[in-house]
Amino acid sequence: MNVRLRVIAGLTLAASLTACAQWQVQPPAAWERGLLAKPEMRIEGDPLQERFDQHIHMSKENASGGSGIGGGGCGCN
Amino acid sequence: MAAIENGSVTSSSRRADRSLLAAALLLPGVLPLAQQAHAEAAPEQAVVAAKVLDYQDRQPGLERTHVQAPAVYLLLPIRGEWSLEASLVQDSVSGASPRYHTSISSASRQTERRSAGDVKLTHYAARQSWYAGAAVSDEHDFHSRALSGGASFSSEDNNRTLNLGAAFTEDRIGATGDPTLDARRRTMQVMGGVTQNVSPRDIVQGSLTLSRGTGFYDDPYKFPDHRPDQRNQLVAAARWNHHVESHGATLRSGYRYYADSFGIRAHTVDAEWVQPVGSRWRITPGVRYYTQQAARFYVDPVYDAVLGEPFPPGWTPGTISSPDQRLSAFGALSASLKLDVTLDAAWAMDLKLERYEQRADWRLGGKGSPGLAPFSARWVQLGVSYRF
Amino acid sequence: MLPATQGQAGAEDFEFDAMACPCVLHLAGDDDEAARTHRAVAAQAAIAEVRRIEAKYSRYRADSVVSHINATAGTGKRVAVDEETAQLLNYAHRLYCDSDGLFDISSGVLRRAWDFRNPALPDKHHLESLLSCVGWSSVKWDGDSVGLPRTGMELDFGGFGKEYAADRAAALLIERGVVHGYVNLGGDIRVLGPRPDGSPWRLGVQHPRNAGSLLAELPLSGGALATSGDYERYFELDGQRYCHVLNPRTGFPVRYWQSVSVAAPLCSAAGALCTIAMLYESQGLEFLARQGEAFLAVDHVGRLHRQDITELCT
Repeated sequence: MNVRLRVIAGLTLAASLTACAQWQVQPPAAWERGLLAKPEMRIEGDPLQERFDQHIHMSKENASGGSGIGGGGCGCN
Repeated sequence: MAAIENGSVTSSSRRADRSLLAAALLLPGVLPLAQQAHAEAAPEQAVVAAKVLDYQDRQPGLERTHVQAPAVYLLLPIRGEWSLEASLVQDSVSGASPRYHTSISSASRQTERRSAGDVKLTHYAARQSWYAGAAVSDEHDFHSRALSGGASFSSEDNNRTLNLGAAFTEDRIGATGDPTLDARRRTMQVMGGVTQNVSPRDIVQGSLTLSRGTGFYDDPYKFPDHRPDQRNQLVAAARWNHHVESHGATLRSGYRYYADSFGIRAHTVDAEWVQPVGSRWRITPGVRYYTQQAARFYVDPVYDAVLGEPFPPGWTPGTISSPDQRLSAFGALSASLKLDVTLDAAWAMDLKLERYEQRADWRLGGKGSPGLAPFSARWVQLGVSYRF
Repeated sequence: MLPATQGQAGAEDFEFDAMACPCVLHLAGDDDEAARTHRAVAAQAAIAEVRRIEAKYSRYRADSVVSHINATAGTGKRVAVDEETAQLLNYAHRLYCDSDGLFDISSGVLRRAWDFRNPALPDKHHLESLLSCVGWSSVKWDGDSVGLPRTGMELDFGGFGKEYAADRAAALLIERGVVHGYVNLGGDIRVLGPRPDGSPWRLGVQHPRNAGSLLAELPLSGGALATSGDYERYFELDGQRYCHVLNPRTGFPVRYWQSVSVAAPLCSAAGALCTIAMLYESQGLEFLARQGEAFLAVDHVGRLHRQDITELCT
């Protein structure tokens, strides 16, 4: 990636971190975790949807991985 | 008269002891499982799910590919400390086989079948869990076997979890038109990540995955296609889930950076907005943008003056090069819409539509590979799940 | 939680008697047949859980764990207890330590000196002999087994059993997807979640001197509310009120507070806090301020004290 894009990416990251800092950033106590337990708040999504989507993306794009579903390649080189 | 305010109890602004509350929190079963001290807990319910995929893609000048794939999934908690997950997919692919340099029309059409399955066994203990898994994928010209294992460790306040994993894959590659081809490749992968509850409404996760693979990477259906016999990959990914109180909705977003020793660099950004409607329905629009730089040895459709098509300039036997569009520089954009409904305490259904388009022009920075026709695809997923 | 929803919302009251008081599960949600059936099934499971705890820890039942322990008092034997009982005993121990020994689960025997239907002071010798049977510090508790060294000693889980049952019942309901409503066991309340439209429940606190009227209405969307007062069981003699909350050192009722209400994330915590505040008498305010939970208290001259409590206009 060229230098100009790197600078833009870095500034965007810094700006979003600053924005984040204005929101409440304080780890929740046990009884404050009710919202975090909602299914849509889980990091992993629907298991079969993830498998389908990842397989499709892997067959059409070169990048793969980063989502933790282990193993099992496909013949799409 | 006191002002009317929402009376939910919060702990935010007090420098107080709360030692008695801390002691009460140790009593068993006083908080629902989801909020309890042990974050690494086996799932409370078993799940059986089925989903069917209908996928179609097209590229100008070529026949469409059509895939239909049913899949099933099972999650079984065992005796409170274990869980078993398993899935099975069967793809039926019909249409044009993968081609190169869309200016040259493709060869045979085939109907392919792919079967894949995976299992994972997890053991849960106080603030940690361990898993082992296996996966297989079989097509008539490609077989893959993988073994994986890993563990998660949570901090004392259960707001931070360290995730570690490793996987080993062995692939065997053949080709329809060449019965003598029986090649292999092996890949070793390690992964480390941290998941952090940042606030009562935010969860973030960062992860790093490194892989090293050796073996056969050429695509036997393309000519001339010869790739290095080693590929190292690095993936750095971040995810952020944010609950939006004003709408009762959740914003799920992620970024992934990919780099490999073929010279490919790719970025993926995705976001979706999960909006509950009423108490049973959820609608989730989503977008995704992907951009990649071409592999070092990718060759544009420019041919050798003497040898002509399909040989790239200066080609000799043994030259590392590939015309595979998947290694070119391009960008891709997709939009999706998902609808899910909870029918009752046990049954739920979901429907997701997605539209995907890939164009060389859409590469970040604009310098996509020349001579490639846009590629587009659409897929629909219909699923049902049962909890018990 | 959820924004204004389509579909009607309905609510049911599941009333039952347990732990010698009237109890109710007020559960709300969708108004359709399936949802109502689901709530009814969940309510039955929650009621069964409350009864299970009552049966296990009631000193009135000969087959309860508490009666089993009390029967061995003075014999030198120790009783091995299960995980749940062990955690409750650990909690009782913490409460004893955090209250300078005022919250003492071995002090139940003192009730024998007081008959609230009969306005009379106890016999001095009777009270003294009962006091010699009180003292958690002399109870042998090592984390696995418990022993009562003197004949006549008794453990009584009445001081926190109801609150514990309220928390357990609520956790069970939430796990089953019932997230709008509250559990009310004789005035010890644990909220599951706000009303279906997202607004808080208006929970009333009994006025300590005017029966039939409220001291305050507190809006709660979650957490718990418990109240201790000098008006539940008492008699008045020569212009002095004698209530059922007894100081374990003197054997005499406490006098400083008419009522203490605490709002905290758990009913087990809220209930213990208001009982201990009553027992601390004039030092109760300092104790509550130190602990940091929200409270509303009325002292013996009728003055209101509060921390972080917001009231609804009536």
